[in-house]
Amino acid sequence: MKTPSHARLQFSKQVIGSLLGLLTILFISACSTPKDDSTLVVGMELAYPPFEMTDEQNNPTGVSVEMAQALAKHLGRELRIENIPFAGLIPALRTGKIDVIISSMTATDERRESIDFSDAYLSTGLCLLVSKNSAITSIDELDKAGVSIAVKQGTTGHVYAASSIKHANVLLFDKESAAVLEVSQEKADAFIYDQMSTFMNWKRNQETTTALLNPLKKESWAIGIAKSNEALLSEINDFLATFSQSGGFDSLGEKYLKEQKEEFEKLGIPFYF
Amino acid sequence: MSFFFEDSPSSPSSPKQAKHFVSFGCAFLFLSFFVFLAFTAIDYNWNWSSVFQYKKKFIDGWLISVGISFVTLFFSLIVGFLAAMGKRSTLLPIKYVASIYIELVRGTPLLVQIYLFYYVIADAAGVDNRYVMGVVIMSLFSGAYIAEIFRAGIESVGKSQLLSAKAIGLSSKQTYRFVIIPQALRNSLPALAGQFANLIKDSSLLSTIAIREFTLNAQEVNSITYSSFESYFPLAIGYLAITLPVMQLSRVIENKIRFET
Repeated sequence: MKTPSHARLQFSKQVIGSLLGLLTILFISACSTPKDDSTLVVGMELAYPPFEMTDEQNNPTGVSVEMAQALAKHLGRELRIENIPFAGLIPALRTGKIDVIISSMTATDERRESIDFSDAYLSTGLCLLVSKNSAITSIDELDKAGVSIAVKQGTTGHVYAASSIKHANVLLFDKESAAVLEVSQEKADAFIYDQMSTFMNWKRNQETTTALLNPLKKESWAIGIAKSNEALLSEINDFLATFSQSGGFDSLGEKYLKEQKEEFEKLGIPFYF
Repeated sequence: MSFFFEDSPSSPSSPKQAKHFVSFGCAFLFLSFFVFLAFTAIDYNWNWSSVFQYKKKFIDGWLISVGISFVTLFFSLIVGFLAAMGKRSTLLPIKYVASIYIELVRGTPLLVQIYLFYYVIADAAGVDNRYVMGVVIMSLFSGAYIAEIFRAGIESVGKSQLLSAKAIGLSSKQTYRFVIIPQALRNSLPALAGQFANLIKDSSLLSTIAIREFTLNAQEVNSITYSSFESYFPLAIGYLAITLPVMQLSRVIENKIRFET
């Protein structure tokens, strides 16, 4: 029979053994670099059709996905797409989890403080999806007490609301769909978002919403790159120039954005790609 | 070596306080070391000052979270009590309403309940205030768990006591009032305190319907300042500041009950 002290000794051996095991695992995982240099890891949030979305088989598809494929081909690297929530893209880039961001991201000065951007590849603007019975008929009526405005967290709409809206009540959502639902159910008066998505959201909710597509702020989208990575930056700018010259953007626009293009032309709102 | 082991009644006792203090310190340092390793490995540029600027957002959010949790606790106790009674009811429709409610709520994610309740049921009912709906949703959610806690508490009262109650001529109502409920309540208290701690943490999901509680505000500070992790530290500390005392309270109550019975 074991005396208590033997049992204790055995127990402490086990404890030390398992702690050493834990230490090894943590040490290895802390030191190993998970990144394989030859693969181009592109981060995007696959919840923004027709730019970033998934098809029925759950494969990434859309304008940005095809851009990423063309970019990887241009660089001669394998492509891996990581689906990351929009607000988490910059942190992922800064911690080296991804190499570039192609996620319909606007190049803003605030973002430039933490990451670099390529040349712009698309111009668009922030506009409003307004609920049908709301008193708001133009952008000037936005910032009033008693008005509630929905924005999606981390987007330029959120930044705009945080800096320019003083009197209205700002509601924050992490999902575009929730923000649209708020407007269509008249829980919020307006949703500040980009023109193309606003148009699509209005299309889907024509009975309950109106789209005020005139831009309240112009902005341009670019590819995000980690700071001080000049080589990759110039390669990407090269790619954008050749891709644009060879009509890559035109054919993508034709494939994914035909409806929006026509509608925007009819409304006389410029549409650059 | 025996310094690192808890005193058993037979072993000679060494200074007890110091012992626990040193072991706690060792454990704390040991865990901190790994956290430190992990943080140095990610090569991240920390920027605390921009987060500190927004301290008011953290405080406001924390107060809302705590406020919602307390109001919810009150209502979920009522809901839980009714559901537990309903489930014990001999009237079958009531019994099944209570069981279906409890199983549905316990069997589905809170996130799904929040979305469905807020955008479908509340919309149909014409309730627009998101804070009111937040409390209603959380009360219904937490109430189902509390119902099970109460049920366990009621069932912990021995059969012999019920028979004795019958023998001395107590009615069913009197049996509940004087025999079952006082004991059931006492037996449920530790689990209730634990449930309250869960409630505070679970209320973070109300951020999805734009309730300006602690988590949403912290996330907002993250996105405004383009920082990634800084906000999560005040967030963790803020939740611990309320859950640790609640869990400690639960332990104290547990010990007290053990001595009484």
